[in-house]
Amino acid sequence: MSKPTDLVQGTLDLLILKVIALEPMHGWAIAQRIRQMSDSVLQVGQGSLYPALHKLESQGWIRAEWGESENGRRAKYYALTRDGRRALQAESEQWGRLSSAITRIVEAS
Amino acid sequence: MRWLARLRHVLWSARADRADAELDEELRYHLDRQTEANIASGMTPEEARLAALRAFGGVDQRREECRDSRPLALVDSVRQDVKYALRSLRKTPGFAAVAVASLALGIGANTTIFTFVDAVLLRPLPYPDSERLVVLRERPPASDDTVNVHPLNFLEWRARTHAFTKLALVQTIPDNVMTPAGAEQLAEVQTTAELFDAFGVTPVLGRPISVADTRPGAAGVVVLSHAFWQRQFGGDPGVLGRQLLLSDGSRQIVGVAPAGLRVGTVDPDLITPLTIDPADPSAIGGRSFQCYGRLRAGVSLEQARAELAVVATDLGRQYPLDKGYGVFVSTLHDYLVREGRPALRLLMAVVAAVLVVACLNLTGLLMARGMGRRGELALRASLGASRGRILRQLVIESLILSAAGAACGLVLAVFATRTLVALTGGALSVGIVGPIEMNAACLLFTAGISVATTLLFGLLPAWQASHLPPQMALAGRGRGTTVDRKHHRLRRLLVVSEAAAAVVLLVGAGLLLRTFSRLTNVSLGFEPSHTVTMSVFLGDRPEAYRISLLDELLSRIETLPGVTAAGSIQFLPLSGSSCGTGVWIDAQPTGDPSHGLPTNCSLVDGNYFKAMAIPVLEGRVFGTADRQGTRRVVVIDGSFVRRYFPGVDPVGRHVTVAWTDTAPAEVVGVVGDVRHDGLTADPEPTVYLLHRQTPGFITSLVIRADGDAAAQIPAIRQAIRDVDRSQAVSSVKTMDQYLDAALARPRLYAALVAGFAALALTLATLGVYGLLSYVVGQRAHEIGIRLALGADRRRVFREIVVQALALTSAGLATGVAVALALQRLIAGLLFGVDARDPITYGLAAVAFLAAALLATMTPALRASRIDPASALRYD
Repeated sequence: MSKPTDLVQGTLDLLILKVIALEPMHGWAIAQRIRQMSDSVLQVGQGSLYPALHKLESQGWIRAEWGESENGRRAKYYALTRDGRRALQAESEQWGRLSSAITRIVEAS
Repeated sequence: MRWLARLRHVLWSARADRADAELDEELRYHLDRQTEANIASGMTPEEARLAALRAFGGVDQRREECRDSRPLALVDSVRQDVKYALRSLRKTPGFAAVAVASLALGIGANTTIFTFVDAVLLRPLPYPDSERLVVLRERPPASDDTVNVHPLNFLEWRARTHAFTKLALVQTIPDNVMTPAGAEQLAEVQTTAELFDAFGVTPVLGRPISVADTRPGAAGVVVLSHAFWQRQFGGDPGVLGRQLLLSDGSRQIVGVAPAGLRVGTVDPDLITPLTIDPADPSAIGGRSFQCYGRLRAGVSLEQARAELAVVATDLGRQYPLDKGYGVFVSTLHDYLVREGRPALRLLMAVVAAVLVVACLNLTGLLMARGMGRRGELALRASLGASRGRILRQLVIESLILSAAGAACGLVLAVFATRTLVALTGGALSVGIVGPIEMNAACLLFTAGISVATTLLFGLLPAWQASHLPPQMALAGRGRGTTVDRKHHRLRRLLVVSEAAAAVVLLVGAGLLLRTFSRLTNVSLGFEPSHTVTMSVFLGDRPEAYRISLLDELLSRIETLPGVTAAGSIQFLPLSGSSCGTGVWIDAQPTGDPSHGLPTNCSLVDGNYFKAMAIPVLEGRVFGTADRQGTRRVVVIDGSFVRRYFPGVDPVGRHVTVAWTDTAPAEVVGVVGDVRHDGLTADPEPTVYLLHRQTPGFITSLVIRADGDAAAQIPAIRQAIRDVDRSQAVSSVKTMDQYLDAALARPRLYAALVAGFAALALTLATLGVYGLLSYVVGQRAHEIGIRLALGADRRRVFREIVVQALALTSAGLATGVAVALALQRLIAGLLFGVDARDPITYGLAAVAFLAAALLATMTPALRASRIDPASALRYD
């Protein structure tokens, strides 16, 4: 698997933020949720999820806590920070503008 | 220190280890869940596991990426780079040793010279607001030199200027005191009341010299120096009020000066009041005093100069002795380091050049190393190492080299500084109070230059090596490609620059060596071997006693077995002191000394001319028949004859010398010229007076012996003790030692610069050798083919030599041009040789070409002896 491009990387960040905005989640669950929510259209490269999570954590947008998972094992749960919530807002707007612009161009031709 | 490092290591790795463990657990959890999900969808456990791993896509790589996004990731990966760099340097110990050694020499030399620069030029004098401490001197008409201050002018300056809060007039005289160890000669600083305020210091005990102390008829008082107080009284605080017996009577101790008070270049033992009679300031002497002052806050040096210029012009109109004289004002620090500054500046430039050569050399070595390692680097690049990461690793390698070089250089510098301080006896640091030693500033400097050197030698090769197209580097050795040509061009440029720097240093060293040899071959006018000299202060004793004392000393010494002649002179040649006065020829009307013909004047006694082996050109020198009360006689030198008696026989003519006792005297003889004012100063007209007829206070004995003059010293000392037990003797040395001291500076400059030039030449030669070896290695294949096709081996040899010659002559030409451009840097330190001296340039060129040719031989021979069969098998 090649390294994600910037667009994909940025998009993945947005998806992660969006998903854990609802509740704190561990990595595997985040991947599952993205797949479910996009009706299996978006298949997150499972491997690329973790570097993205660690990067967001070091940026201070999300924070991690060890907790007990649904199957009784120790798992690392990620939750949105205040900064992360603000970032989600900004990224969503940015995405909205970008996608509508692309849509306009694609449909016009 | 070691346990600290270990602790840090443990904490550091513990933190990293915990983070790694958590990361592993997190990833394992994910894989386990995915495996479970896969099993649930019907896979066998084995298949489920593999599918989960596949979906994850390279666990190790992901783990790396996660680590990289951690805050401490940089530290971790740098640590890895360091480990890697150390391993790769260990694999090439020869390269590492050469690199570290050349850096250590370069950095060590720079740190050493900087230590001197810091102590001498950068560190302020140890007095409060020392930048406001100034020295005032007089500037004779149409002269760049400065002379001592006349008491009359001091009084006028003090009264008429506002730029200074304090102005003090000072004179240092030797003095004899009796100590338990025998008679000791001390430095007594006589001063007006302002000295302590001007320097901004207060006595540690008692009080300073007061204005009342300096009034005529005041009771005698003395302030002890801190060192003398410790030495003589064991630091006894009860010393105040006690009496100290000096040669001119007893004085009451009223204070103790703070430690480290140095008045100009004099470390005083005693400080006593200087009394100036306002009605007759000249009564205490002429231009023989030093003036120190403190600038008023807010007044600049320029303003002070302007104010004094106006005063000086005024005084020139008012007093004949001030006609045309100006005033020189400088901060004391600037004045004290005036001679050290140009030399230190030159040395700093020289060591910087050496370091640059070392760096250029290392750049070349690293570039070659980078080319040799391109396979390895290309492999790393294709395995996913980013360009930045490879660049960083190479730079870290350079940093390790320069850190090791700096560490070794620092050790070197500590020893070099100590050695230089011991060897030069302060030739580089005249007048500086503080010790010459390494401090925080020097360490900072070393750290700074080692980082700078890394950038200088490390970046270019690292950038180049990290920008090789991997496919090309992996495919072949990239011979004849653009990269290779660019590489060659760069390395040629490096070698040419190195060569140029070496040539510049060679030229500098050559000029200084020739200066030194000129100085040692200067005709002094006297014969220094087999003589000893010592300073004797006759003191404020009665005139008749001074005459009989010196006479008796000299005649007693002359009767010692092995002594052939004994004489005395007021100021020894090259001592830096001389005495100028006015003279009138024959019946010219006499008057103010400043209206007479200028001449140097020396008081001699005994068989001075014989002891110094100064040739008698005409007439006779002083004899025992010339005494006080007999006809006044003088001896003049050749310069005097040429200037004032051109073409006539001076013997039997009369001159009148302005002196304490101004009366006409008969010229009885002419002696040879002596370079009195220094090795580089032309002899001035000099008239010798006889001490017996015009007694002085200060004198130096000169004693010539048959064999080893130094062996006579104990007997001479005993003879002096026998004559007068209270007579102190100081500055005892052979005339050769005395001359050595006069040559210390030029010798030091020449030796240092020559040493550095040799170092630079060695490095540049290594550079030429390294480049040619590399070129021959690269072309082995091609040369092999040519030889196989029947090419002439001599021709191959010639080709390499010609290539080397092109390189070295480019370096030589550049070096000569740069040396010519920089000649001003060295001109002030030269004597008897022009800064563009063609012989020096020629010799430097020959030396350089010889070294370069030597460096060419091995690679050229190797090229011509390439075995075609093995060269073709090479790939």
